[in-house]
Amino acid sequence: MNFESDTMDATAAENSKVATSWHGIVRFLHITPRAFLPMRSFPELQLIAGRGIEGDRYLIGQETGFYSHKPEEGRQVTLFEMETLEAVRRDHGIELLPEEHRRNVTVEGVPLNHLVGRRFRLGETVVEATRLSTPCRHIEEILGKAVFDPLINRSGLNCKVIAGGTLRVGDLVRPV
Amino acid sequence: MAKPIKTVSTVVSRIEALGNDTKRLTLVDQDDWELPPFKPGAHIDVYLEPGLVRTYSLCNEPEDNHRYVIAVKREHNGRGGSTFLHERVRVGDQIGVSIPRGGIALNANEMNVFVAGGIGVTPLISVVRHLERQGRTNYVLHWMSRGRPVLPDMIGPAIEAGRVCLYDTTSQAKPSIADIVKECADFGFAACCGPVPMLEAFEEAVEAWPDERKHIEMFTPPKRIVQSDVPPYQVILKVSKKSATVAPDIGLLGTLEAMGVEVPVSCGGGICGACRTRWIEGPPIHRDRVLSPAERQSELIVCVGDCAGPKLVLDL
Repeated sequence: MNFESDTMDATAAENSKVATSWHGIVRFLHITPRAFLPMRSFPELQLIAGRGIEGDRYLIGQETGFYSHKPEEGRQVTLFEMETLEAVRRDHGIELLPEEHRRNVTVEGVPLNHLVGRRFRLGETVVEATRLSTPCRHIEEILGKAVFDPLINRSGLNCKVIAGGTLRVGDLVRPV
Repeated sequence: MAKPIKTVSTVVSRIEALGNDTKRLTLVDQDDWELPPFKPGAHIDVYLEPGLVRTYSLCNEPEDNHRYVIAVKREHNGRGGSTFLHERVRVGDQIGVSIPRGGIALNANEMNVFVAGGIGVTPLISVVRHLERQGRTNYVLHWMSRGRPVLPDMIGPAIEAGRVCLYDTTSQAKPSIADIVKECADFGFAACCGPVPMLEAFEEAVEAWPDERKHIEMFTPPKRIVQSDVPPYQVILKVSKKSATVAPDIGLLGTLEAMGVEVPVSCGGGICGACRTRWIEGPPIHRDRVLSPAERQSELIVCVGDCAGPKLVLDL
């Protein structure tokens, strides 16, 4: 994560005009068309405002995901931190790969847990974070890896698409 | 509300009659997407129709990840699964299957000895294909059949290379399983899948071996283990006036689902609270991480819950 704080003079500090920001990068993009099927990596994805990702199992109107019987507007696109993959390896000795966490966008340098309720840019698109993702036993069943406990409180972010467009690996992630 | 998706959706892309009352079926995704991964020798549950679920070993190898191949011998006096597959299933049919389970843990460096009887060879076909694809030759398959074996085309190179010993038990004496496994008695690994007498002979031959060096593949695999270490108890649903016994290998949630109760499960691990249910009589065992001590006095997260006594009454 890159925090950029402007140098402040005393006056600025007194006025509390602290400009703190962050930016990150899209490292991986994944979708799958149906529940249980492996996630497949793509160099770019098409995000559709108000619906989700073209070809993904949670695209609104064509839901075929494991949780599609529980419709949720804020599940259009899901994000996950690269840093969590590193933490799970370091703290639990489990090799969890970007295609295995079953979120769509793997980002680096983005404080996902702080973005609930906020809008931010994913490349040329804009998304709004609706809630933190929660882990589920379903992922353990699919992977055969005991990742449920290690992912509690760091299982990613659910978002809806505000402004659609093409999202590419390497795109910047930044506040609106 | 739409129903939860509980199976992998597949399409029957090919059916081959192999003779000897055996058919080979190939299942694929409708868009030829990769299917969930599996280990050599794994098996899947095949959902044929409501109430008719059968387990079959996969014959193909994990690297061949766009299809599931199963071979089914028709059992005329069986319970109906093989007859359904032989008579009712057609190319193009949609069939739900489970995520693959199980598999055979091989010895990477020492000798692996496999013993198969008839159609029981299916998981070992998967293993042999996997080893051949990896260029590994530290194995031998002893395969006994009555008459012509039905799946040799899947392991042609292994047969040609002399790594498969075929026995036609209609014209040859059955080999001694004790003699077969003797070659790796002090090291290596042995696995067996076949009819009960063969499994018993194998079990006897490897009885003294450590567990990690032997594998017995049943035609009917044991049920998936769920987290429950309590003795069986009775669950009573006060509102719907139903009751059932909760067995450790099924668990409370599995029992409720089998009773036809719609429980709104989400995480399945006791952290989301979706399946919180009022309890009336217990005491229940709480394993969740969402309820407060006060809430536990009247509620239970059933996806991880159990009962400490003989009877659990739920407000369902």
